Amino acid sequence: MDQNAFAIFAAIVTSIVLEAAPFLLLGSLLSSIIAVYVGDGALERLAQRSLPAQVCLGLFAGLLLPTCECGVVPVTRRLIKKGVPAGAAIPFMLAAPVVNPVSLAATWVAFQGDLTMVAGRAAMVLLPAAALGWALGGIKAAELLRPGLEMARAEGCSCGCGHGHDGHRRPGFLQGLPDVLRGTGREFLDMGLFLILGACAAGLFKVFLPQQWLGVVSANVWLAIPAMMLLAVLMSICSEADAFVAASLSMFPRPALLAFLALGPMLDLKLIPAIAGVFRRRVALVLLIAPAVGVYMLAMSLALSGAFK
Amino acid sequence: MSATPTTGLARFRLSLQDRVDGLCLLCMGGLMAALSRSGLYWYFLNPKFSGVTLGAGVLLCLAGLALLLRPMPGPTTAMRLWRQAVLLGFLSLAATAWGQAASEPLPGAMSPASSENAALAPEEAAPADPRPVLDGREYVRLNLAELYIMLDKGRKDYPERFALRAVVSRTPELDKRGHVLLKRTAVVCCLADSLELSFATRGNGLEALQTGDWVEVFGRLAPLDEKGADKGLVKAAPKGEGPSLSLTNPKFRIEVEAATPIQAPAFPYLFEFKEEPPFAW
Repeated sequence: MDQNAFAIFAAIVTSIVLEAAPFLLLGSLLSSIIAVYVGDGALERLAQRSLPAQVCLGLFAGLLLPTCECGVVPVTRRLIKKGVPAGAAIPFMLAAPVVNPVSLAATWVAFQGDLTMVAGRAAMVLLPAAALGWALGGIKAAELLRPGLEMARAEGCSCGCGHGHDGHRRPGFLQGLPDVLRGTGREFLDMGLFLILGACAAGLFKVFLPQQWLGVVSANVWLAIPAMMLLAVLMSICSEADAFVAASLSMFPRPALLAFLALGPMLDLKLIPAIAGVFRRRVALVLLIAPAVGVYMLAMSLALSGAFK
Repeated sequence: MSATPTTGLARFRLSLQDRVDGLCLLCMGGLMAALSRSGLYWYFLNPKFSGVTLGAGVLLCLAGLALLLRPMPGPTTAMRLWRQAVLLGFLSLAATAWGQAASEPLPGAMSPASSENAALAPEEAAPADPRPVLDGREYVRLNLAELYIMLDKGRKDYPERFALRAVVSRTPELDKRGHVLLKRTAVVCCLADSLELSFATRGNGLEALQTGDWVEVFGRLAPLDEKGADKGLVKAAPKGEGPSLSLTNPKFRIEVEAATPIQAPAFPYLFEFKEEPPFAW
């Protein structure tokens, strides 16, 4: 890498990490608050609901717990550790970065109040998220999460407060604050590792990917949809900002733009190492491959049917 | 007698990882807080996010202090060391990028007027006259990205005559066809999603301008004859020199009626886009 390319690489990696860090921190803070203040039994009651109810709750929980994809994995990991069943946690992880007020409003603004784009984006995320929630719904936490990732605390309960389950009582706000701050810091470092590695990969692609190919592929829907899906993964833009970039790529057909908007929040260079690091290998493979296949099939169906011009 | 210091040392060793984590978070939080207050924040992110970055930096510092001052005993694992090393590596990279931004612009990126001016707030005063009149004709001042976005959305209500500021780019191929490229970089969130938007341009007052010169042009749009005389014109536009995705309008050129060389603005990037008057400047 020559000096100019390195300068661009350094600036791009810095800007991606600085852009995503506040959202990752928010996710870590939410995760830590759940760990410290929410009783273990409160979320376990979700497991007693039927699988369709779990999936529905997971799909729309982002409306109450807004988070972008930069912070959704630590929140999901914590929810699963707190007893939230996979049938709710997996749909939440995949859908919440899009099906939340901030992201939906950004899409509405970027596409000039075009509700079909907003609805199309939400639907294209909800369908694969629901399908995966349904498919993985019966799996227990121990079979979902990698055991080696308890980086912050190797022992004790999941809140990181340093004592065993038996002695754990929900603390008051001020009493629990140091635990929340420590947990937030550890969680941020755990997941920040994946953010930085993902940003480095996105920076490398940004520096070395020739721009000329955009014009060539946009004219052909068979190329445009996979190309936009690839771009979504490589650019790794925050789900609360990607609509503005998609709106600026208007030379692409709308199904390809929807594929870009739907896939990025479920699969990008920040999420790949995070998902691979948090979930067991087989589950991670399913979580990485199935959304891409689902989005591709939905986008191609829209393009070939002519329903979304 | 010797049991206490040994226990103290053992306790310190056990809490060392939390303390190192705390130091890493303090460095990261400090970097974010300092950058959010620096005059070079705009180089990486849209200035509207500086408050968010500052808030996150402060929270990271608090989390770091909590780990540093009230650490919990825990084992040293390879994963903890690895994530600390990666974070320190990132901090070095960020310091390099910050230093680069302070000393010289990225290749292909636009330079501000001067590093002194770059320390000012990004919002510039609106031009004295949003509708200047030249040779009896009224023009509407707007920025290049606003015009590009309106055209991109197929809108027909863009100003018939407009004035905008841009940086000039020349290539031998464009010169041969009597055009220059006028471009601006639009930043939605951060440098990674920035777009370098441009128009092929021809007309009066452009002949003496060189690549990198800043100009205010007064002109109007004219459709490109993509299948005739203008075939291949957009493809001749230079691409991919800097950190931004380059897009040249494929349907319209700017026909310049008057052009005035100007000082480079303090903030060469565009961060604000409106789609109706009064436009951002």
